[in-house]
Amino acid sequence: MNLSLPENKRLRFLRWFDFRSGRLGMIAYILNRVTAIGLVVYLYLHLAVLSILAGGPAQWDAFVQIARSPLFLTLDVILLAGILIHGLNGLRIALTGFGVGVRGQKPLFVAFMLVAAVALIAGALKIFAG
Amino acid sequence: MNHKRSSWAWFWQAVTGIALLLLLGLHTVAHHFVAAGGLRDFQQVIEYLSNPIIVVLEIAFLICVTTHALLGVRSILFDLGLSARTERRITVGLSVVGIVTALYGFWLTYTVIYTGSSSTAFLPK
Repeated sequence: MNLSLPENKRLRFLRWFDFRSGRLGMIAYILNRVTAIGLVVYLYLHLAVLSILAGGPAQWDAFVQIARSPLFLTLDVILLAGILIHGLNGLRIALTGFGVGVRGQKPLFVAFMLVAAVALIAGALKIFAG
Repeated sequence: MNHKRSSWAWFWQAVTGIALLLLLGLHTVAHHFVAAGGLRDFQQVIEYLSNPIIVVLEIAFLICVTTHALLGVRSILFDLGLSARTERRITVGLSVVGIVTALYGFWLTYTVIYTGSSSTAFLPK
């Protein structure tokens, strides 16, 4: 069975989801793109939900009660993971783009992802502690 | 693709991205970590927005996050190997989306502050 991905340039974005190469640079690129799409979707959902504020205190406070449920808190943790991964990976891309730490970008990626993991654990504990 | 435009897009995405590390950090901590229960109720939102510096920072956050997000969408779409004409249309379309998003954010901020100031007028001093 042929497992190679299409060479067609219109379909090359499918490579974002191909983790088989196992190369750190490719994994960083895929993580950046996938978290970016998730965060853009979240941004517009968030803006839509904020329109409830225009309805006044009764509508917003009723929503806040729903948003404090365990399901929403779990989604908050997933959101935090996306923000940390995208933010720190993006910081690495910006730094190397401006010529800072180009030679050490792989260890930098690993270090930033470790920071992201620690911050995610701390953030998740805070989110569920209330 | 016009490489000069492309490098400007990359530059602004990097600048807004770095600004977002601070602005998103402030937004997340202020709204989801400091507030009891992880989310401000309506009265707490009004109190938070009563500080003009906070309003300026939230508006800056809105502009940076919208610019960063839509430049990112543009970059992803340009990966699809589209024609120069389609890329130009995408740039114009996303610019319109960005302006509408910012205007919506301004309207919502104004409405919440106005609604809050009129609703708190009926609260006991």
